[in-house]
Amino acid sequence: MRSALGWVAAAVLLSAVAFFLSGYYNDVYRKLLLWIALALSYNFLFGISGQVAFSHFAFYGIGAYAVVIFLFQLGMPLPLAILAGVLVCSAIALIVAIPSTRLEGFYLALATLALAQLFIVVLNEGGAVTGGTGGLVNYRLPAIFGVYITGPWYTAVIVILVLGTYALLRHLDRSWFGRACRAVRDNPEAAAAMGVNVARTKVIAFTLTSVLAGIAGMVYAFVDNTVNPPIFGLENAFLLLFMVIIGGSGRHAGAIVGAVLLYLLPFVLSPLIGHHHALVFGALMVVVILLQPRGLIGLYDRYPRGQKAH
Amino acid sequence: MRDLLELSVSAAASGCIYALVALAYLLMIRPTGVINFAVGEWAMVGAFGGFLLLSKYEWPYALGMAAVLGFMLLVGWITERIAVRPLVERGAPLLAAILALLGMLVVFREGISLGFGPDPHQVPEPVSFEYLKLFVIGATLVVFAAVWLFFERTLWGKAFEAVALNRRAAALMGIDLRRVTVASFAGGAAAAGLAGLLVAPNTSAHYLMGVPLAIQGFTALVIGGVGRVEGALLGGLLVAFAEQLTVRYAPLPSGYAQGVPLLLLMLFLLVRPTGLLRARA
Amino acid sequence: MTDILEARKLTKRFGGLTAVSELSFAVREREILGLIGPNGAGKSTTFNIIAGAYRADSGEISFLREPIAGLPPHEIARRGVMRTFQHNLPFEGMSVLENVLVGAHTRFGGNLFSRKAAAEEREQHAHAERLVEFVGLGELRYASVDRLSFGQGRLLEIARALAGAPKLILFDEPAAGLTRAEAQRIATVIRGIAERGIAVLLIEHDMHFLLPLAHRVVVLNFGAKIAEGTPDEVRSHPAVLDAYLGHAAAV
Repeated sequence: MRSALGWVAAAVLLSAVAFFLSGYYNDVYRKLLLWIALALSYNFLFGISGQVAFSHFAFYGIGAYAVVIFLFQLGMPLPLAILAGVLVCSAIALIVAIPSTRLEGFYLALATLALAQLFIVVLNEGGAVTGGTGGLVNYRLPAIFGVYITGPWYTAVIVILVLGTYALLRHLDRSWFGRACRAVRDNPEAAAAMGVNVARTKVIAFTLTSVLAGIAGMVYAFVDNTVNPPIFGLENAFLLLFMVIIGGSGRHAGAIVGAVLLYLLPFVLSPLIGHHHALVFGALMVVVILLQPRGLIGLYDRYPRGQKAH
Repeated sequence: MRDLLELSVSAAASGCIYALVALAYLLMIRPTGVINFAVGEWAMVGAFGGFLLLSKYEWPYALGMAAVLGFMLLVGWITERIAVRPLVERGAPLLAAILALLGMLVVFREGISLGFGPDPHQVPEPVSFEYLKLFVIGATLVVFAAVWLFFERTLWGKAFEAVALNRRAAALMGIDLRRVTVASFAGGAAAAGLAGLLVAPNTSAHYLMGVPLAIQGFTALVIGGVGRVEGALLGGLLVAFAEQLTVRYAPLPSGYAQGVPLLLLMLFLLVRPTGLLRARA
Repeated sequence: MTDILEARKLTKRFGGLTAVSELSFAVREREILGLIGPNGAGKSTTFNIIAGAYRADSGEISFLREPIAGLPPHEIARRGVMRTFQHNLPFEGMSVLENVLVGAHTRFGGNLFSRKAAAEEREQHAHAERLVEFVGLGELRYASVDRLSFGQGRLLEIARALAGAPKLILFDEPAAGLTRAEAQRIATVIRGIAERGIAVLLIEHDMHFLLPLAHRVVVLNFGAKIAEGTPDEVRSHPAVLDAYLGHAAAV
């Protein structure tokens, strides 16, 4: 009961922030929250489950496009469109994950790299369905029970998405499923000997996190009210990886720190080096891997860790 | 008929570019297991080297090409020293090196973008335009022949093979793993740089040219198989022919042709992950 | 006493080499059975077949009267056969206690979101703490596994295997690489496991470690069984002396 109150308080507090922000800062805040949601689920995939995949941002895009296409091209009602979007993400995730996880090594990384690129090709060439290079524009979130959710109220929807993602992943991480994922990451042979079905654990983790990315994408679709190919390029798949590694992979706090830092850094850096902030990201990535493999959150760990019994 | 011949020459030429990128991957993967996605950015660095020396300072082609390749050896060496060796010495997992190289990829690209700006730069062709494709094919064949001879006929090549088969045993045999690793990165950078230099007269030198090349080269490598040098060449040619035949004959929008190598890549990863050619026993 | 695990006519070839040939033996309830033999006798191959890592070319294995040959390792663990690794394979990113909790993987029910899940988690947590105490790593329960010595790592392997509440536990050369004192400690722990009513199958090539510990011994040479009996019977068996002394002379 107390923890439920905590979640509600967090939701109210984080949503309240939006009511004090002007339009531009509200937009920045919304995107920061979306990056945190993505970094959290990518951390579960990469950091906790140990799967190197480049498809996470593509699933964000698949979710965004899917919900818009289902709503406005096929005229589905909102709940059905969301459900159909989830099904599309699950189906694609399963098609990629089931064969890839049978194989050792970096096959998943390569197959998902190809998937991410293929997604962009399909978006560009999808004609009227995807809107081609221009994407899809001029739509808005349908009314829910006669109400149009806009402005800071929509930011509250994003807050609920982030907190829901976090609560779910934290619960999983602390359960036998999270331990199985870590075991598979650390030593698949020993994990199997402990009764863990390695292939199934990987497929479930991949599909679940991909669907979470897809749901975040559905929410994003009504932030800018446009979806177009450049938004979902491979660049952002790399950025997501950098966020998790620089923040500290395998830790929820690490993913949050990484997402906040790498999302806000360009605002600080752009007066200095224009749009070349990626140079700093790349260098930071190399330095962190070389000097602080546990990421920035690893620096914090040097303090006494009496509370870490959990 | 003439049409088909033209198409074949043109596909063979782009296939050779992919093959060189695949070769760059292969040179590093075989002895170290490291998949270095920065090969595409190395090709871009090679292309910009060509722009600088051949277009801007107007060096003679042969001299400029030699200087670019020499510089690429240095780039490969430095990359290995920064992003790979410290991790190998610490006993970090292979993945750490692969991720550090992804960081380097971004550093290369943004560094070039910072230095040369976002606009494409012209790079001159070595021979008159109608013979350019033949030059690309010829140069690639020379490189592949040399690499093949190196692996088959020289002691150093045997050392590479030994490391590829078993790092521990190779170390016990007295092969210096560090030297083999450094040499594989230097050689990989030179092969990638050559690909960039050769493709640049057609595509211009541009800071975003790397990732597509990296993916096409990788597809070629997966299709051909990591086990043998010839596999990279075969894979490169197959990818290019598949691409160009789709553009010409398939009833699809031309943009979808870019998707063909990606579908091939996924298909091969799922169905035949060892590639067409297997390593010799 | 009844047989808990029964192997019948196991055969495994690698290329032209027959590693295990027509091997039959049984592990009885509550006993410590030693599988012993010189290097290359086929012990490890037999072990890996039972644990599901290798597939036998022919022969059958039944555990609690059900066939298990050819099942994947995680299915075999699920049925109550847990194992340790000779070269210690801990989960490096986790604490000692978390490692043991992974061992309890098969003890958890399905639904992660039910009310029962939290109680189950607490229960397994407490059980894991007891197991960590039992093998003597209580002080290190929250330590990261990279702080353990090799011998402590072996104790962790045992606690992790016990967490699965096995009916049979397989030990792959548990004394290999340990000091004499550490090996004695492991022997004490293994006796304690048998006293809890868990059957033990032990692969070992060190006679000095195994003979005082095992209730019965099966001796292998060149993939075939050459003797079976109590440690005393085996010790004086001519075929065993022949096989072992021939090798011992070389050692």
